[in-house]
Amino acid sequence: MSLDADAAASSCSFWNLRSLRWRIHLGILSSSSSPSSSSIDHLRRAAADSRRRYASLRRQLLLTDAQAALAKDEDSTPDLSIDNPLSQNPESTWGRFFRNAELEKTVDQDLTRLYPEDGSYFQTPTCQAVLRRILLLWSLQHPQYGYRQGMHELLAPLVYVLHVDLDRLSQVRKLHKDYFTDGFDESLLSYNTKQNNKARSNNDEAGSSSKLTTFADLDPEIKQLFLLSDPYGAEGELGVVLSERFMEHDAYCMFDRLMDGGSHRGVSMAEFFSHSNPIGSGKGTSPVIEASSALYHLLNLTDPSLHSHLVELGVEPQYFALRWLRVLFGREFNLEELLMIWNEVFEYPNDTCLDLKVTDIGFQVFCSDRGAFVASFGVAMILHLRSALLATENVTVCLQKLLNFPKNVDIKTLIEKARSLHGIALDANENIYGSQSLSGSGSNRTPPHQPIPHSYWEERWQVLHKTESLPLESKKDPVHGRPVKKRTFREKLGLVRTESDPSAGENNQTEHTVRRQLFAVSPSCEIENCGRLNQSLSFIGEPSHFLNRNEFISREVSAPNSVTHDILNGSASGSVQGEESSASSVNNDKENYENDTDKSSVTSNSFIGENAEQEVAFTNGKVGEEGAKDEEEKSQLGLKETRSVSGKFGWFFKFGRGSNGEVNNNMEIGGGGNRITDKDGSGFNSNGISNSNSASHIARAENSGDKKVMGTFKNLGQSMLENIQVIESVFQQDRGKGQVTAMAALTELRKISNLLREM
Amino acid sequence: MVLVLALGDLHIPHRAPDLPAKFKSMLVPGKIQHIICTGNLCIKEVHDYLKSLCPDLHITRGEYDEDARYPETKTLTIGQFKLGLCHGHQVVPWGDLDSLAMLQRQLDVDILVTGHTHQFKAYKHEGGVVINPGSATGAYSSITYDVNPSFVLMDIDSLRVVVYVYELIDGEVKVDKIDFKKTATGHS
Repeated sequence: MSLDADAAASSCSFWNLRSLRWRIHLGILSSSSSPSSSSIDHLRRAAADSRRRYASLRRQLLLTDAQAALAKDEDSTPDLSIDNPLSQNPESTWGRFFRNAELEKTVDQDLTRLYPEDGSYFQTPTCQAVLRRILLLWSLQHPQYGYRQGMHELLAPLVYVLHVDLDRLSQVRKLHKDYFTDGFDESLLSYNTKQNNKARSNNDEAGSSSKLTTFADLDPEIKQLFLLSDPYGAEGELGVVLSERFMEHDAYCMFDRLMDGGSHRGVSMAEFFSHSNPIGSGKGTSPVIEASSALYHLLNLTDPSLHSHLVELGVEPQYFALRWLRVLFGREFNLEELLMIWNEVFEYPNDTCLDLKVTDIGFQVFCSDRGAFVASFGVAMILHLRSALLATENVTVCLQKLLNFPKNVDIKTLIEKARSLHGIALDANENIYGSQSLSGSGSNRTPPHQPIPHSYWEERWQVLHKTESLPLESKKDPVHGRPVKKRTFREKLGLVRTESDPSAGENNQTEHTVRRQLFAVSPSCEIENCGRLNQSLSFIGEPSHFLNRNEFISREVSAPNSVTHDILNGSASGSVQGEESSASSVNNDKENYENDTDKSSVTSNSFIGENAEQEVAFTNGKVGEEGAKDEEEKSQLGLKETRSVSGKFGWFFKFGRGSNGEVNNNMEIGGGGNRITDKDGSGFNSNGISNSNSASHIARAENSGDKKVMGTFKNLGQSMLENIQVIESVFQQDRGKGQVTAMAALTELRKISNLLREM
Repeated sequence: MVLVLALGDLHIPHRAPDLPAKFKSMLVPGKIQHIICTGNLCIKEVHDYLKSLCPDLHITRGEYDEDARYPETKTLTIGQFKLGLCHGHQVVPWGDLDSLAMLQRQLDVDILVTGHTHQFKAYKHEGGVVINPGSATGAYSSITYDVNPSFVLMDIDSLRVVVYVYELIDGEVKVDKIDFKKTATGHS
């Protein structure tokens, strides 16, 4: 495709002539030969060529049988035993005739249902005839694809833009009658027109009549239109680029090119209609399934939480993506919006950048710019529905939302978003291995080391947080210096991914013991504040143990189920309030969650520090042991333990794991007991909760040097895993109603156990 | 491209058990738009079978038909052609061209289809066409035992009709084709 012609074309402002631009972008009107010649002439020649091709095609394939018989009478007599109407022989002309008749019936069925609203252009007989012929010809020309429902919806907008442009042309014609009339006629009528001119110019006021302007003064656009439709230009009538007579030819060429994907083997729509594998591909799935999983892959890259949510629910991408891809979003938007979208889609060239058949990894659809844009637009649509999708746990509701895309969407924002995702999509093939993308079948269980819980749980908290509307929100400090993805939420809550602060606070280990002491003092207050449970009280009541870290931990291990979580905010001055509030909000909403694990719910302890540091205590061992013990007893403490809680717990584990030093840091309490009480008081107020049901675990982060404890944790994790497996097997046998939720809970357990094992 | 099947004189179950297998395999529903049957089916099951091939079925009464409600003669218009249907035992002498021509003039049709002789015949006669599709089962007639199963398929295309004859000779289906064109006033 000659860039010059392209540039020239766009600079000639073909803005209004969508059909022209689309034809150029699709590669029909582009010229590979010398770009130096006039672009208009080139366009005309290319148009003429494509039309000739179509005309010969039509002649070949659409002869009626009478015409065929006439043609045959001249030849030798055909073998009647084959060529009779009842012949079973599939090769006979009659067999072909019947097959064509079948095809036509199928096509007609679809065409009658195309845009059936009143006054629709598509229901006029002429348009229907054109569509029918084009579809028939294409299906006959491509017997490996045949005709599938949806092809007519791809063809319809193409015909429509041609029609619109022709309308515009006729409008312009009316306005500037002089310049569009046939020169031949004009010379004959010139005498009359001159007379009329004189009469009219006498009547006209100054300079308003268009007849007084010369051709050169015309709007460049009008000039272009004239040149394009001049029947005496290059290639004569056949070269008139916007011609009603050749509308069918042009539409066929556009359709054919769209389906084929162009000579560079980019994304071809036809493959989306086929069920079999493309030749030479290593994939075991059909192209449209592959493209749908490509969509999910891109979604995974941009928004893992939403992706994991959808995968967990079991929403397979092809349920909705099939329709999106096969008609290029034709069913989701009305015609005007669709034309805008297709404008964007066709802007991108369709050349493949790498040869997939050689490398055999990666998705075909990302190999071309256009395909990548289509995928990004799909992901943009999914992201548009993000909050709705995350809010629901029901597969059917999710699918409903995806399948009934809302009507009044701002297309421009979607397109912008798609553009931004486009860059990611183009690189997506490289990320295939790195991001542990889905297999073709899309398993529902995420691999254990994938860091899923973070953002997912954050989202849950976000939802909760909004519903809670805690007064704490005003007191939050923003988090500084943390590279986090979701800035707003994280800034509010001061949540931080452990991966993102790797180096915070390796120091301050010396203050460890001090903190523990202080912490020893505080828990009593905390627990009281939070309406602590039995175990924690017992646990707390032995401050002497806190001095010895190991002892402390063992004590923790022995005491079941009381862990207080304080959310850790690494090196920076934490905005713990936010975390607390979130945790407390989580606690508040425990009712919303099911009771699946015995991992106790988290209560945020009331540490509101103007000065950053938070205390976070992890009892890994505790959790582990509890997990081991209590797995069978799901609600040991009568807690409303939730999946989210365990997830949070896992999240906190990550904190602990990733930033052991940080924990120590955060446990530093500057003001000692005063501060604690201070915090407690304020925290308690700010919490505004006394959740008697919530258990608090005090978790302590492990020093990396404490190998013994690590070993213990590992063992605990292992035992947890075993227990999980036992439960899972039980459930699989049972197939009870609560199975889904229980399974979900078990996945959480699994994750936690993995975390433990890693530690 | 209207396909019209013309057959008759099956004499099921009295003289023949069923259509030949090769004929049956060729007659599939969906291809044929009309069936005209000269008569002597004889029973209702045959009527139902033909109805399953094509919903538009026209039958005239043969002397052995068990359903007495069929008419003696029938006329219909397909494309530009007028077709006439009669069993033929009413026209004496049986199978005589001139007498059949009288019937044709009487009915004022372009194509007359009759049976009863169990022999395939196709005449171009005085601006009209007379067709005898023979016996589709090869049942013996009052005149002769030597009967080949045969039937006729007409392809009517506005002003032109192509007649395909299917005959079962020695276990093989032989097909023949005859062309008729209609001029403005009469047949050419």
